[in-house]
Amino acid sequence: MEPTYHDGGVNFCWRLRYLFLEPKRFDVVAVRFAGIKVMLLKRVVAQEGEQVEFRDGKLYIDGQEMGEPYVRYPCYWNLPPRRVEKNCVYVVGDNRNMPIENHHFGQTSKSRVMGVPLW
Amino acid sequence: MVKIKYTLIGVLMVIIGIVAVLIVFPSEEKKVKKQFNLLAAWVSKSPEENTFIMLQKMKNIGTLFDEHCELKAPDQSLSGSYTREEISTYAANARSHFSQLDLKFYDLHIIFPEGGITKVTLTSRLTGRSTAGELMDETRELECVLKKIESKWLFSEIEVVEVLKK
Repeated sequence: MEPTYHDGGVNFCWRLRYLFLEPKRFDVVAVRFAGIKVMLLKRVVAQEGEQVEFRDGKLYIDGQEMGEPYVRYPCYWNLPPRRVEKNCVYVVGDNRNMPIENHHFGQTSKSRVMGVPLW
Repeated sequence: MVKIKYTLIGVLMVIIGIVAVLIVFPSEEKKVKKQFNLLAAWVSKSPEENTFIMLQKMKNIGTLFDEHCELKAPDQSLSGSYTREEISTYAANARSHFSQLDLKFYDLHIIFPEGGITKVTLTSRLTGRSTAGELMDETRELECVLKKIESKWLFSEIEVVEVLKK
């Protein structure tokens, strides 16, 4: 999530954020693995039913280019369109200055979204 | 006064007895956790590790696995059934590319669906430095099946759970 959040930094997670709300586009969220000791910080870019695509590093949702001011480093990703499944969100990190194969991103179940970083 | 003294001694002996039983006969859950601790210790590598320790660790890793262990991963090229010897060889080969490795397991959820079988869901984190100096930090969710064979819990299935699906 560079440069928004630094690697290896410590953050507190506000777990009640999505008690009554759904994750929205551009929210930074904590995604859990098997438990809550290790989590990923990612940004929600698409919600269920939406079509995600990257063309020359630019994000397209349902065919429309989305501005992403938080992406500061050059990005040249290409990803064919794919639709986000039911009860899932599509999350991507802000640091895309790496080959697409090396970046950990994609759709995940909403049940894995544990909350938002406190700051 | 004498009665209180004997009562206290009695209570103390009971506590010591319970602790001794727990140490001598650890629960099945503790035995399973021990296998994961051993795997983490034997996969991890310090920069000072010499060839003798490396060979010992590789030999030991094989003993944690069933005769055939099934690996399921989103990357199909890694999926398949591996023998103990193959696992030891692959582990030795993979470790040789790193000067330092540290494997840690978090959030182990252990269930016993039937006698002699346990299913464990956990997060694994492998960090290290390659011999070329590149840093590595890989975190994965795993689902493992261990079978109890001759009173030892052995890994028989390891599945990499796809947390983020591209």
